[in-house]
Amino acid sequence: MNERSTTESRLSSSAVPGRDLLAELRATLERANDLLRVVETSQQGAAVREAGTAEERISELERRLATADSDVKELASRLVDSEHQGGRLMNLYVATYQLHATLDPAEVQATIAEIAINLLGAEQFVLLLRRDEAPEDEARGYEIALIEGFYDEEQSLYSGDSYTGGDPVVDLTLRDGVLRLGPAAESPALAAVPLRVQNEIVGALVVLKLLDHKPILRGEDRDLLDLLSAHAASAIFAARLFATKDRKLRTLESLVKLARGE
Amino acid sequence: MHKMYEVMLRQYPLVYASDGRQALDRLREHSDIDLVLLDINMPNMNGLEFLAELRADSGRDGVSVIIISTEGREEDTARGMEAGATAYIKKPFRNEEILDVISRLEKKGAA
Repeated sequence: MNERSTTESRLSSSAVPGRDLLAELRATLERANDLLRVVETSQQGAAVREAGTAEERISELERRLATADSDVKELASRLVDSEHQGGRLMNLYVATYQLHATLDPAEVQATIAEIAINLLGAEQFVLLLRRDEAPEDEARGYEIALIEGFYDEEQSLYSGDSYTGGDPVVDLTLRDGVLRLGPAAESPALAAVPLRVQNEIVGALVVLKLLDHKPILRGEDRDLLDLLSAHAASAIFAARLFATKDRKLRTLESLVKLARGE
Repeated sequence: MHKMYEVMLRQYPLVYASDGRQALDRLREHSDIDLVLLDINMPNMNGLEFLAELRADSGRDGVSVIIISTEGREEDTARGMEAGATAYIKKPFRNEEILDVISRLEKKGAA
């Protein structure tokens, strides 16, 4: 009896844990399912987040690329500007170097003509210089030191070897020393460039016509005109002074030799 | 122009000629000349006449010619290029225009 009771008890106890285990297994499966859903949900979320991050990265990279592109364009533009500026400065350097590289008056005048033609694009121009003689000679006007591109004999203002006035723009520039760009209604001059020696107006470079393929004077030409205004006359005067002194020196040397009976 | 070129092209050895005829003589004297900067308006023999003589000489095929001229119409450029110029630069010119063309010719020669 006692043995039977024990067996029943075992059966009973073994039956109860089996139900518990089954319930526990079911619960575990449900939890696993829940976990699986959670994992799946989180994976989907992560995928969505990753997709979102990638898109953000792409747009960020695109923004950076656009900025870099813009920087490259800006730098290229600045490079072009600086090269252009370098070219302008080089031209000015060449012009200045040329003007002061010689003490031969004819060479200086040829240099001014070269600058006007090759660097400025002038086809027709006149270089006027105040005469060195006494004030009573002022009526004779300005010496036409250089004339280029005049094939028409009718150009009465600049015919002969003197300019005695007549172009209001040129006359004004010769008086007040202001660089003027034309053309104006009353004057055919495209540019009247005052020439200075130690702040004194000693003449003018008058540009009357540009080469056919150069329609107007550009901003960069102004630098060249300013340079001519400051340097052309002093170069001519220095060369003339040197030529005069050189001639006098030679005369004196000849006289000394003559006196010594050599 | 000599002094201008002297300053602009100071990195290159230069030989000068005052007209086309003299330029042909210089080319005969200096067989190593490989570039000519040529003006059109010159006394005795103008630039185009010089170019015609130069291109007629098969021994001088390798010499490049850059015309630098005040003659700036399209037909002037076409005439110069047809005559055998390598490049045509209109006056007024800037230093870098000449240097650019020379640099391109150098690269082409090196390639």
